[in-house]
Amino acid sequence: MRKYYCGFMILVTAIITAILPDIVQAAGGPAEMLVVVADSRRAHGEIARYFVDSYNTNPVWFGIECTIITAIMGVTFGLLTDFIMKRVGIDLTSRKIVEH
Amino acid sequence: MKRNLTLCIASIALVMLMAIPAMSAEVAQGKTVKYDKDNKIIVVEEYDLNITPQTKYGKSTGKELTFDLKEALIGKTPEPGDIVRIAYTVVGKDNKAIRLMNVTKQDIMKK
Amino acid sequence: MDWYMMYMPIAGIEIFWPGLVLIGFAVGCIGGFFGMGGAWMVTPGLNILGFPMAFAIGTDIAHIAGKSMISTFRHSKFGNVDYKLGLIMIVGTVVGIECGAQVVMWLERIGEVGPVVRWVYIGLLALIALMVFYDYYKATQKKKAGDVGEHGAEGITWYKTLHRINIPPVVHFKVAGITCSAWLPIGVSFLTGVLAGFLGIGGGLIRMPALVYLIGCPTHIAVGTDLFEVMISGLYGTFTYGAKGRIEIWAVFVMLAGAAIGAQIGTVATKYAKGYGIRIAFGLAVLACMVSIILKQFKIDMPATVLILGAVGAICIYICMIMFSGAAKELREKKSAA
Repeated sequence: MRKYYCGFMILVTAIITAILPDIVQAAGGPAEMLVVVADSRRAHGEIARYFVDSYNTNPVWFGIECTIITAIMGVTFGLLTDFIMKRVGIDLTSRKIVEH
Repeated sequence: MKRNLTLCIASIALVMLMAIPAMSAEVAQGKTVKYDKDNKIIVVEEYDLNITPQTKYGKSTGKELTFDLKEALIGKTPEPGDIVRIAYTVVGKDNKAIRLMNVTKQDIMKK
Repeated sequence: MDWYMMYMPIAGIEIFWPGLVLIGFAVGCIGGFFGMGGAWMVTPGLNILGFPMAFAIGTDIAHIAGKSMISTFRHSKFGNVDYKLGLIMIVGTVVGIECGAQVVMWLERIGEVGPVVRWVYIGLLALIALMVFYDYYKATQKKKAGDVGEHGAEGITWYKTLHRINIPPVVHFKVAGITCSAWLPIGVSFLTGVLAGFLGIGGGLIRMPALVYLIGCPTHIAVGTDLFEVMISGLYGTFTYGAKGRIEIWAVFVMLAGAAIGAQIGTVATKYAKGYGIRIAFGLAVLACMVSIILKQFKIDMPATVLILGAVGAICIYICMIMFSGAAKELREKKSAA
Protein backbone atom coordinates (compact mmCIF):
# COMPACT_ATOMS: atom_id res chain seq x y z
CA MET A 1 0.00 0.00 0.00
CA ARG A 2 2.82 2.32 1.00
CA LYS A 3 4.54 1.50 -2.30
CA TYR A 4 1.48 2.63 -4.31
CA TYR A 5 1.17 5.75 -2.18
CA CYS A 6 4.80 6.68 -2.88
CA GLY A 7 4.35 6.02 -6.60
CA PHE A 8 1.19 8.10 -6.67
CA MET A 9 2.92 10.99 -4.89
CA ILE A 10 5.80 10.93 -7.38
CA LEU A 11 3.43 10.79 -10.35
CA VAL A 12 1.30 13.68 -9.09
CA THR A 13 4.38 15.79 -8.27
CA ALA A 14 5.95 15.09 -11.65
CA ILE A 15 2.74 15.95 -13.55
CA ILE A 16 2.24 19.17 -11.61
CA THR A 17 5.89 20.15 -12.10
CA ALA A 18 5.73 19.36 -15.81
CA ILE A 19 2.57 21.36 -16.50
CA LEU A 20 3.39 24.26 -14.16
CA PRO A 21 5.67 26.11 -16.58
CA ASP A 22 2.82 26.16 -19.13
CA ILE A 23 0.40 27.53 -16.56
CA VAL A 24 3.01 30.05 -15.50
CA GLN A 25 3.65 31.10 -19.09
CA ALA A 26 -0.08 31.34 -19.72
CA ALA A 27 -0.08 34.22 -17.26
CA GLY A 28 1.42 36.21 -20.10
CA GLY A 29 -1.66 35.43 -22.15
CA PRO A 30 -2.80 37.46 -25.12
CA ALA A 31 -1.02 40.08 -27.21
CA GLU A 32 -1.25 43.13 -24.99
CA MET A 33 0.76 41.70 -22.13
CA LEU A 34 3.76 43.48 -20.69
CA VAL A 35 7.01 41.99 -21.93
CA VAL A 36 10.22 43.15 -20.28
CA VAL A 37 13.53 42.87 -22.10
CA ALA A 38 16.52 43.26 -19.80
CA ASP A 39 19.14 45.52 -21.37
CA SER A 40 22.25 43.34 -21.58
CA ARG A 41 24.16 46.24 -23.17
CA ARG A 42 24.15 47.93 -19.75
CA ALA A 43 24.95 44.80 -17.70
CA HIS A 44 28.51 44.85 -16.43
CA GLY A 45 30.40 41.65 -15.68
CA GLU A 46 30.02 38.03 -16.70
CA ILE A 47 27.56 37.07 -13.97
CA ALA A 48 25.20 39.97 -14.65
CA ARG A 49 25.38 39.22 -18.36
CA TYR A 50 24.58 35.54 -17.73
CA PHE A 51 21.47 36.35 -15.70
CA VAL A 52 20.25 38.93 -18.18
CA ASP A 53 20.73 36.45 -21.04
CA SER A 54 18.93 33.73 -19.19
CA TYR A 55 16.10 36.20 -18.38
CA ASN A 56 15.74 37.21 -22.03
CA THR A 57 16.01 33.75 -23.58
CA ASN A 58 14.42 31.28 -21.19
CA PRO A 59 12.15 32.69 -18.46
CA VAL A 60 11.30 29.29 -16.95
CA TRP A 61 14.99 28.51 -16.55
CA PHE A 62 15.48 31.97 -15.05
CA GLY A 63 12.73 31.15 -12.53
CA ILE A 64 14.46 27.90 -11.58
CA GLU A 65 17.80 29.68 -11.24
CA CYS A 66 16.28 32.35 -9.01
CA THR A 67 14.72 29.67 -6.77
CA ILE A 68 17.94 27.69 -6.39
CA ILE A 69 20.18 30.73 -5.90
CA THR A 70 17.84 32.34 -3.37
CA ALA A 71 17.70 29.11 -1.35
CA ILE A 72 21.48 28.75 -1.39
CA MET A 73 22.01 32.42 -0.51
CA GLY A 74 19.55 32.18 2.39
CA VAL A 75 21.22 29.12 3.88
CA THR A 76 24.74 30.49 3.35
CA PHE A 77 24.04 33.85 4.94
CA GLY A 78 22.18 32.20 7.82
CA LEU A 79 24.94 29.71 8.58
CA LEU A 80 27.61 32.36 8.19
CA THR A 81 26.00 34.76 10.66
CA ASP A 82 25.29 31.86 13.05
CA PHE A 83 28.98 30.98 12.92
CA ILE A 84 30.05 34.58 13.55
CA MET A 85 27.65 34.92 16.49
CA LYS A 86 28.97 31.67 17.99
CA ARG A 87 32.51 33.02 17.71
CA VAL A 88 31.39 36.17 19.51
CA GLY A 89 30.01 33.96 22.27
CA ILE A 90 26.27 33.97 21.62
CA ASP A 91 24.58 30.69 20.63
CA LEU A 92 21.26 31.18 18.88
CA THR A 93 20.62 27.71 17.50
CA SER A 94 18.55 26.61 20.47
CA ARG A 95 16.31 29.64 20.74
CA LYS A 96 12.54 29.46 20.55
CA ILE A 97 11.58 32.52 18.54
CA VAL A 98 12.37 32.25 14.88
CA GLU A 99 12.22 35.04 12.36
CA HIS A 100 10.26 34.67 9.14
CA MET B 1 7.36 10.83 5.55
CA LYS B 2 10.92 11.97 5.03
CA ARG B 3 11.27 9.37 2.27
CA ASN B 4 8.21 10.79 0.50
CA LEU B 5 9.59 14.27 0.85
CA THR B 6 12.92 13.23 -0.66
CA LEU B 7 11.15 11.45 -3.53
CA CYS B 8 9.00 14.51 -4.26
CA ILE B 9 12.04 16.82 -4.23
CA ALA B 10 13.93 14.38 -6.48
CA SER B 11 11.08 14.21 -9.01
CA ILE B 12 10.78 18.03 -9.05
CA ALA B 13 14.55 18.32 -9.60
CA LEU B 14 14.42 15.78 -12.44
CA VAL B 15 11.69 17.63 -14.32
CA MET B 16 13.44 20.95 -13.72
CA LEU B 17 16.70 19.62 -15.11
CA MET B 18 14.89 18.94 -18.37
CA ALA B 19 14.46 22.68 -18.90
CA ILE B 20 16.90 23.96 -21.50
CA PRO B 21 19.70 26.06 -20.01
CA ALA B 22 20.10 29.68 -21.05
CA MET B 23 21.61 30.73 -24.34
CA SER B 24 22.99 34.14 -25.10
CA ALA B 25 21.08 36.85 -26.91
CA GLU B 26 21.87 40.30 -28.23
CA VAL B 27 19.80 43.32 -27.27
CA ALA B 28 19.01 46.30 -29.45
CA GLN B 29 17.01 49.41 -28.66
CA GLY B 30 15.69 52.05 -30.99
CA LYS B 31 12.83 53.83 -32.69
CA THR B 32 10.32 51.83 -34.72
CA VAL B 33 10.51 52.81 -38.38
CA LYS B 34 8.13 50.21 -39.81
CA TYR B 35 6.10 47.37 -38.33
CA ASP B 36 4.63 44.77 -40.68
CA LYS B 37 2.07 42.97 -38.52
CA ASP B 38 1.16 40.35 -41.15
CA ASN B 39 4.70 39.28 -42.04
CA LYS B 40 5.87 39.84 -38.47
CA ILE B 41 8.78 42.07 -39.40
CA ILE B 42 9.96 45.21 -37.65
CA VAL B 43 12.49 47.80 -38.80
CA VAL B 44 14.18 49.75 -36.04
CA GLU B 45 16.47 52.79 -36.09
CA GLU B 46 19.12 51.74 -33.59
CA TYR B 47 19.99 53.91 -30.57
CA ASP B 48 23.30 53.81 -28.69
CA LEU B 49 23.99 53.87 -24.95
CA ASN B 50 24.56 57.60 -24.74
CA ILE B 51 21.91 58.08 -22.07
CA THR B 52 21.43 61.59 -20.70
CA PRO B 53 18.43 63.41 -19.20
CA GLN B 54 17.80 64.83 -22.67
CA THR B 55 18.25 61.54 -24.52
CA LYS B 56 16.91 59.01 -22.02
CA TYR B 57 16.74 56.20 -24.58
CA GLY B 58 20.13 56.95 -26.16
CA LYS B 59 21.12 58.72 -29.39
CA SER B 60 20.39 57.48 -32.90
CA THR B 61 23.26 55.69 -34.60
CA GLY B 62 21.58 56.18 -37.98
CA LYS B 63 21.69 52.43 -38.57
CA GLU B 64 18.49 50.55 -39.45
CA LEU B 65 18.04 46.97 -38.26
CA THR B 66 15.39 44.49 -39.43
CA PHE B 67 14.05 41.81 -37.08
CA ASP B 68 12.03 38.69 -37.74
CA LEU B 69 9.29 38.51 -35.09
CA LYS B 70 7.69 35.20 -36.13
CA GLU B 71 8.72 33.35 -32.97
CA ALA B 72 8.96 36.35 -30.70
CA LEU B 73 7.01 37.18 -27.58
CA ILE B 74 5.60 40.61 -28.37
CA GLY B 75 4.43 43.07 -25.74
CA LYS B 76 2.24 46.06 -26.54
CA THR B 77 1.88 46.39 -30.33
CA PRO B 78 4.58 48.75 -31.65
CA GLU B 79 3.74 51.66 -33.93
CA PRO B 80 6.14 53.80 -35.97
CA GLY B 81 7.88 56.22 -33.59
CA ASP B 82 7.64 53.92 -30.54
CA ILE B 83 10.88 53.09 -28.74
CA VAL B 84 11.30 49.31 -28.61
CA ARG B 85 13.86 47.01 -26.99
CA ILE B 86 14.44 43.67 -28.68
CA ALA B 87 16.29 40.56 -27.51
CA TYR B 88 17.43 38.60 -30.55
CA THR B 89 19.81 36.00 -31.91
CA VAL B 90 21.63 36.20 -35.21
CA VAL B 91 20.84 33.18 -37.39
CA GLY B 92 22.79 33.38 -40.67
CA LYS B 93 22.00 36.88 -41.93
CA ASP B 94 18.68 37.17 -40.09
CA ASN B 95 18.01 38.77 -36.73
CA LYS B 96 15.54 36.44 -35.05
CA ALA B 97 13.77 38.26 -32.24
CA ILE B 98 12.98 36.41 -29.01
CA ARG B 99 11.20 39.15 -27.05
CA LEU B 100 10.01 42.62 -27.93
CA MET B 101 9.37 45.26 -25.30
CA ASN B 102 7.50 48.41 -26.22
CA VAL B 103 9.38 50.84 -23.99
CA THR B 104 7.21 53.85 -24.93
CA LYS B 105 3.86 52.21 -24.24
CA GLN B 106 4.74 50.26 -21.12
CA ASP B 107 6.87 52.54 -19.06
CA ILE B 108 7.04 50.19 -16.09
CA MET B 109 8.54 52.93 -13.94
CA LYS B 110 5.08 54.44 -13.63
CA LYS B 111 3.52 51.26 -12.27
CA MET C 1 25.83 57.31 -12.15
CA ASP C 2 26.22 58.47 -8.55
CA TRP C 3 27.94 56.14 -6.05
CA TYR C 4 24.78 55.69 -4.01
CA MET C 5 22.80 54.46 -7.01
CA MET C 6 22.90 50.87 -8.25
CA TYR C 7 21.76 49.76 -11.68
CA MET C 8 19.29 46.89 -11.64
CA PRO C 9 19.89 45.12 -14.95
CA ILE C 10 16.57 43.24 -15.14
CA ALA C 11 14.12 46.00 -14.24
CA GLY C 12 16.40 48.53 -15.95
CA ILE C 13 16.22 51.05 -13.14
CA GLU C 14 18.68 52.83 -10.88
CA ILE C 15 18.06 52.23 -7.18
CA PHE C 16 19.27 53.98 -4.02
CA TRP C 17 21.15 50.90 -2.73
CA PRO C 18 21.68 52.00 0.91
CA GLY C 19 17.88 52.07 1.12
CA LEU C 20 17.82 48.49 -0.09
CA VAL C 21 20.34 47.40 2.55
CA LEU C 22 18.38 49.26 5.23
CA ILE C 23 15.10 47.60 4.25
CA GLY C 24 16.75 44.15 4.24
CA PHE C 25 18.41 44.83 7.58
CA ALA C 26 15.18 46.18 9.07
CA VAL C 27 13.16 43.15 7.98
CA GLY C 28 15.70 40.84 9.59
CA CYS C 29 15.98 42.95 12.71
CA ILE C 30 12.24 43.48 13.25
CA GLY C 31 11.43 39.90 12.23
CA GLY C 32 14.05 38.51 14.59
CA PHE C 33 12.96 40.74 17.45
CA PHE C 34 9.20 40.31 17.28
CA GLY C 35 9.18 36.75 15.94
CA MET C 36 6.77 37.80 13.21
CA GLY C 37 7.56 38.53 9.61
CA GLY C 38 8.69 41.92 8.49
CA ALA C 39 7.81 41.30 4.87
CA TRP C 40 4.95 43.79 5.10
CA MET C 41 7.45 46.62 4.71
CA VAL C 42 9.43 45.17 1.79
CA THR C 43 6.93 45.38 -1.08
CA PRO C 44 5.87 48.97 -0.24
CA GLY C 45 9.48 49.88 0.56
CA LEU C 46 10.79 48.60 -2.77
CA ASN C 47 7.93 50.26 -4.62
CA ILE C 48 8.65 53.57 -2.90
CA LEU C 49 12.38 53.21 -3.72
CA GLY C 50 11.45 52.95 -7.40
CA PHE C 51 10.70 49.32 -8.22
CA PRO C 52 7.64 48.73 -10.40
CA MET C 53 4.98 47.06 -8.20
CA ALA C 54 5.14 43.58 -9.79
CA PHE C 55 8.94 43.58 -9.41
CA ALA C 56 8.58 44.69 -5.78
CA ILE C 57 6.23 41.77 -5.04
CA GLY C 58 8.43 39.21 -6.83
CA THR C 59 11.60 40.44 -5.18
CA ASP C 60 9.93 40.45 -1.74
CA ILE C 61 8.71 36.86 -2.09
CA ALA C 62 12.16 35.68 -3.26
CA HIS C 63 13.79 37.35 -0.29
CA ILE C 64 11.30 35.58 2.04
CA ALA C 65 12.24 32.23 0.47
CA GLY C 66 15.91 32.81 1.23
CA LYS C 67 15.26 33.93 4.77
CA SER C 68 12.85 31.12 5.65
CA MET C 69 15.19 28.32 4.52
CA ILE C 70 17.44 28.64 7.53
CA SER C 71 14.56 29.10 10.00
CA THR C 72 12.84 25.94 8.76
CA PHE C 73 16.00 23.87 9.13
CA ARG C 74 16.45 25.15 12.68
CA HIS C 75 12.87 24.25 13.58
CA SER C 76 12.85 20.85 11.89
CA LYS C 77 15.83 19.93 14.07
CA PHE C 78 13.51 20.09 17.10
CA GLY C 79 10.84 17.98 15.37
CA ASN C 80 8.33 20.84 15.38
CA VAL C 81 7.22 20.35 11.80
CA ASP C 82 4.30 18.08 10.88
CA TYR C 83 5.51 17.12 7.41
CA LYS C 84 2.33 15.27 6.50
CA LEU C 85 0.24 18.35 7.26
CA GLY C 86 2.84 20.50 5.52
CA LEU C 87 2.83 18.36 2.38
CA ILE C 88 -0.97 18.35 2.14
CA MET C 89 -0.98 22.11 2.61
CA ILE C 90 1.51 22.50 -0.26
CA VAL C 91 -1.34 21.79 -2.70
CA GLY C 92 -3.38 24.72 -1.47
CA THR C 93 -0.35 26.97 -1.02
CA VAL C 94 1.01 26.44 -4.54
CA VAL C 95 -2.40 26.84 -6.24
CA GLY C 96 -3.12 29.88 -4.06
CA ILE C 97 0.22 31.57 -4.83
CA GLU C 98 -0.29 30.98 -8.54
CA CYS C 99 -3.78 32.51 -8.34
CA GLY C 100 -2.41 35.53 -6.45
CA ALA C 101 0.43 35.96 -8.96
CA GLN C 102 -1.98 35.65 -11.91
CA VAL C 103 -4.13 38.41 -10.41
CA VAL C 104 -1.02 40.61 -10.09
CA MET C 105 -0.08 39.95 -13.73
CA TRP C 106 -3.60 40.70 -14.88
CA LEU C 107 -3.67 43.93 -12.89
CA GLU C 108 -0.30 44.84 -14.39
CA ARG C 109 -1.68 44.32 -17.88
CA ILE C 110 -4.62 46.63 -17.26
CA GLY C 111 -2.26 49.13 -15.59
CA GLU C 112 -3.81 49.00 -12.12
CA VAL C 113 -1.37 46.88 -10.15
CA GLY C 114 0.27 49.80 -8.31
CA PRO C 115 -2.84 51.46 -6.85
CA VAL C 116 -4.68 48.19 -6.07
CA VAL C 117 -1.77 46.55 -4.23
CA ARG C 118 -1.01 49.81 -2.42
CA TRP C 119 -4.57 50.14 -1.12
CA VAL C 120 -4.67 46.49 -0.04
CA TYR C 121 -1.41 47.08 1.82
CA ILE C 122 -2.83 50.17 3.49
CA GLY C 123 -5.70 48.01 4.77
CA LEU C 124 -3.37 45.25 5.91
CA LEU C 125 -1.03 47.63 7.73
CA ALA C 126 -3.97 49.36 9.42
CA LEU C 127 -5.03 45.92 10.66
CA ILE C 128 -1.54 45.08 11.94
CA ALA C 129 -1.26 48.45 13.72
CA LEU C 130 -4.68 47.93 15.29
CA MET C 131 -3.65 44.46 16.45
CA VAL C 132 -0.42 45.75 17.98
CA PHE C 133 -2.07 48.65 19.81
CA TYR C 134 -4.96 46.47 20.99
CA ASP C 135 -2.46 43.93 22.28
CA TYR C 136 -0.64 46.70 24.14
CA TYR C 137 -3.92 48.02 25.56
CA LYS C 138 -4.93 44.55 26.74
CA ALA C 139 -1.53 43.94 28.33
CA THR C 140 -1.62 47.22 30.26
CA GLN C 141 -5.20 46.53 31.39
CA LYS C 142 -4.19 43.10 32.65
CA LYS C 143 -1.20 44.55 34.43
CA LYS C 144 -3.43 47.08 36.16
CA ALA C 145 -5.79 44.29 37.22
CA GLY C 146 -2.83 42.29 38.51
CA ASP C 147 -3.40 39.39 36.11
CA VAL C 148 -0.15 38.40 34.48
CA GLY C 149 -1.17 34.91 33.21
CA GLU C 150 -0.67 33.82 29.61
CA HIS C 151 -3.67 34.28 27.38
CA GLY C 152 -4.06 31.14 25.36
CA ALA C 153 -6.32 29.54 22.83
CA GLU C 154 -8.52 27.84 25.38
CA GLY C 155 -11.50 30.04 24.71
CA ILE C 156 -11.66 29.53 20.98
CA THR C 157 -12.52 26.04 19.81
CA TRP C 158 -13.73 26.60 16.25
CA TYR C 159 -11.57 23.72 15.12
CA LYS C 160 -13.75 21.26 17.07
CA THR C 161 -16.70 22.25 14.86
CA LEU C 162 -14.56 22.23 11.70
CA HIS C 163 -13.23 18.74 12.54
CA ARG C 164 -16.80 17.46 12.24
CA ILE C 165 -16.64 18.12 8.49
CA ASN C 166 -15.73 14.67 7.28
CA ILE C 167 -15.48 15.06 3.52
CA PRO C 168 -13.07 12.30 2.44
CA PRO C 169 -10.16 11.90 2.63
CA VAL C 170 -10.10 12.23 6.41
CA VAL C 171 -6.47 12.22 7.51
CA HIS C 172 -4.76 11.73 10.87
CA PHE C 173 -1.75 13.97 11.51
CA LYS C 174 0.44 12.16 14.00
CA VAL C 175 2.83 14.95 15.01
CA ALA C 176 0.08 17.53 15.42
CA GLY C 177 -2.22 14.92 16.97
CA ILE C 178 -5.34 15.84 15.01
CA THR C 179 -7.73 14.10 12.62
CA CYS C 180 -9.65 16.08 10.05
CA SER C 181 -10.70 16.26 6.42
CA ALA C 182 -7.71 17.01 4.17
CA TRP C 183 -9.80 19.78 2.58
CA LEU C 184 -9.59 21.85 5.76
CA PRO C 185 -5.78 22.45 5.66
CA ILE C 186 -5.94 22.70 1.84
CA GLY C 187 -8.59 25.43 2.09
CA VAL C 188 -6.65 27.35 4.74
CA SER C 189 -3.41 27.10 2.78
CA PHE C 190 -5.13 28.14 -0.44
CA LEU C 191 -6.43 31.36 1.09
CA THR C 192 -3.09 32.24 2.65
CA GLY C 193 -1.38 31.29 -0.61
CA VAL C 194 -3.52 33.74 -2.58
CA LEU C 195 -2.64 36.49 -0.11
CA ALA C 196 1.06 35.58 -0.18
CA GLY C 197 1.16 35.50 -3.98
CA PHE C 198 -0.73 38.75 -4.27
CA LEU C 199 1.13 40.79 -1.66
CA GLY C 200 4.51 39.07 -1.74
CA ILE C 201 4.40 38.15 1.94
CA GLY C 202 5.01 34.84 3.71
CA GLY C 203 1.42 34.56 4.88
CA GLY C 204 2.37 33.55 8.42
CA LEU C 205 0.30 36.40 9.77
CA ILE C 206 -2.85 34.52 8.77
CA ARG C 207 -1.62 30.93 8.48
CA MET C 208 -0.31 30.75 12.05
CA PRO C 209 -3.58 31.68 13.80
CA ALA C 210 -5.50 29.61 11.22
CA LEU C 211 -3.40 26.54 12.06
CA VAL C 212 -4.07 27.01 15.78
CA TYR C 213 -7.70 28.10 15.81
CA LEU C 214 -9.16 26.50 12.67
CA ILE C 215 -7.12 23.31 12.36
CA GLY C 216 -6.36 22.80 16.03
CA CYS C 217 -2.58 22.46 15.86
CA PRO C 218 -0.58 22.81 19.09
CA THR C 219 1.20 26.19 18.98
CA HIS C 220 4.78 24.89 18.69
CA ILE C 221 3.81 22.56 15.81
CA ALA C 222 1.90 25.43 14.19
CA VAL C 223 5.01 27.65 14.30
CA GLY C 224 7.22 24.96 12.74
CA THR C 225 4.68 23.89 10.12
CA ASP C 226 3.95 27.51 9.26
CA LEU C 227 7.67 28.13 8.70
CA PHE C 228 7.78 25.07 6.44
CA GLU C 229 4.83 26.50 4.48
CA VAL C 230 6.46 29.95 4.31
CA MET C 231 9.51 28.29 2.81
CA ILE C 232 7.43 26.39 0.25
CA SER C 233 5.36 29.46 -0.64
CA GLY C 234 8.55 31.52 -0.88
CA LEU C 235 10.27 29.01 -3.14
CA TYR C 236 7.26 28.50 -5.39
CA GLY C 237 6.62 32.26 -5.42
CA THR C 238 10.23 32.84 -6.45
CA PHE C 239 9.88 30.33 -9.26
CA THR C 240 6.61 31.68 -10.59
CA TYR C 241 7.57 35.35 -10.32
CA GLY C 242 10.98 34.52 -11.82
CA ALA C 243 9.38 32.74 -14.76
CA LYS C 244 7.06 35.72 -15.22
CA GLY C 245 10.18 37.90 -15.28
CA ARG C 246 9.34 39.94 -12.21
CA ILE C 247 12.30 39.32 -9.89
CA GLU C 248 15.37 41.51 -9.54
CA ILE C 249 17.89 38.96 -8.29
CA TRP C 250 20.52 41.60 -7.38
CA ALA C 251 18.15 43.29 -5.00
CA VAL C 252 17.36 39.92 -3.39
CA PHE C 253 21.09 39.39 -2.81
CA VAL C 254 21.62 42.81 -1.23
CA MET C 255 18.55 42.47 1.00
CA LEU C 256 19.36 38.92 2.11
CA ALA C 257 22.81 40.03 3.24
CA GLY C 258 21.23 42.82 5.30
CA ALA C 259 18.50 40.53 6.62
CA ALA C 260 20.92 37.83 7.82
CA ILE C 261 22.78 40.33 9.99
CA GLY C 262 19.59 42.06 11.10
CA ALA C 263 17.95 38.77 12.12
CA GLN C 264 20.82 37.92 14.46
CA ILE C 265 20.79 41.35 16.09
CA GLY C 266 17.00 41.29 16.45
CA THR C 267 16.98 37.83 18.00
CA VAL C 268 19.77 38.61 20.44
CA ALA C 269 17.99 41.82 21.43
CA THR C 270 14.91 39.83 22.55
CA LYS C 271 17.04 38.45 25.38
CA TYR C 272 17.59 41.92 26.80
CA ALA C 273 14.33 43.70 25.97
CA LYS C 274 12.00 44.52 28.82
CA GLY C 275 8.52 45.97 28.86
CA TYR C 276 5.95 46.64 26.23
CA GLY C 277 7.29 50.02 25.08
CA ILE C 278 8.95 48.52 22.02
CA ARG C 279 5.56 47.28 20.82
CA ILE C 280 4.42 50.89 20.60
CA ALA C 281 7.52 51.69 18.52
CA PHE C 282 6.65 48.76 16.25
CA GLY C 283 3.07 49.95 15.88
CA LEU C 284 4.29 53.44 15.04
CA ALA C 285 6.66 52.02 12.40
CA VAL C 286 3.72 50.17 10.83
CA LEU C 287 1.69 53.39 10.83
CA ALA C 288 4.61 55.32 9.30
CA CYS C 289 4.89 52.69 6.58
CA MET C 290 1.15 53.01 5.92
CA VAL C 291 1.36 56.82 5.65
CA SER C 292 4.31 56.56 3.25
CA ILE C 293 2.29 54.23 0.98
CA ILE C 294 -0.52 56.80 0.97
CA LEU C 295 2.04 59.51 0.06
CA LYS C 296 3.39 57.31 -2.74
CA GLN C 297 -0.15 56.73 -4.00
CA PHE C 298 -0.56 60.48 -4.37
CA LYS C 299 2.87 60.72 -6.07
CA ILE C 300 4.54 62.58 -3.19
CA ASP C 301 7.64 60.43 -3.69
CA MET C 302 10.45 62.11 -1.76
CA PRO C 303 8.65 62.49 1.61
CA ALA C 304 7.37 58.92 1.21
CA THR C 305 10.93 57.60 0.82
CA VAL C 306 12.24 59.68 3.73
CA LEU C 307 9.36 58.61 5.98
CA ILE C 308 9.60 54.85 5.36
CA LEU C 309 13.40 54.74 5.55
CA GLY C 310 13.40 57.05 8.58
CA ALA C 311 10.80 54.97 10.43
CA VAL C 312 12.42 51.58 9.82
CA GLY C 313 15.86 53.11 10.45
CA ALA C 314 14.74 54.52 13.81
CA ILE C 315 13.28 51.21 15.01
CA CYS C 316 16.46 49.42 13.88
CA ILE C 317 18.64 51.83 15.85
CA TYR C 318 16.42 51.25 18.89
CA ILE C 319 16.72 47.44 18.61
CA CYS C 320 20.50 47.68 17.97
CA MET C 321 20.91 49.84 21.06
CA ILE C 322 19.06 47.24 23.17
CA MET C 323 21.21 44.48 21.70
CA PHE C 324 24.59 46.18 22.05
CA SER C 325 24.06 47.47 25.57
CA GLY C 326 22.63 44.10 26.68
CA ALA C 327 25.32 42.01 25.00
CA ALA C 328 28.10 44.23 26.33
CA LYS C 329 26.69 43.86 29.85
CA GLU C 330 26.42 40.08 29.50
CA LEU C 331 29.97 39.72 28.17
CA ARG C 332 31.27 41.93 30.98
CA GLU C 333 29.48 39.76 33.55
CA LYS C 334 30.86 36.59 31.94
CA LYS C 335 34.37 37.99 32.10
CA SER C 336 34.09 39.04 35.73
CA ALA C 337 32.64 35.62 36.67
CA ALA C 338 35.58 33.92 34.98
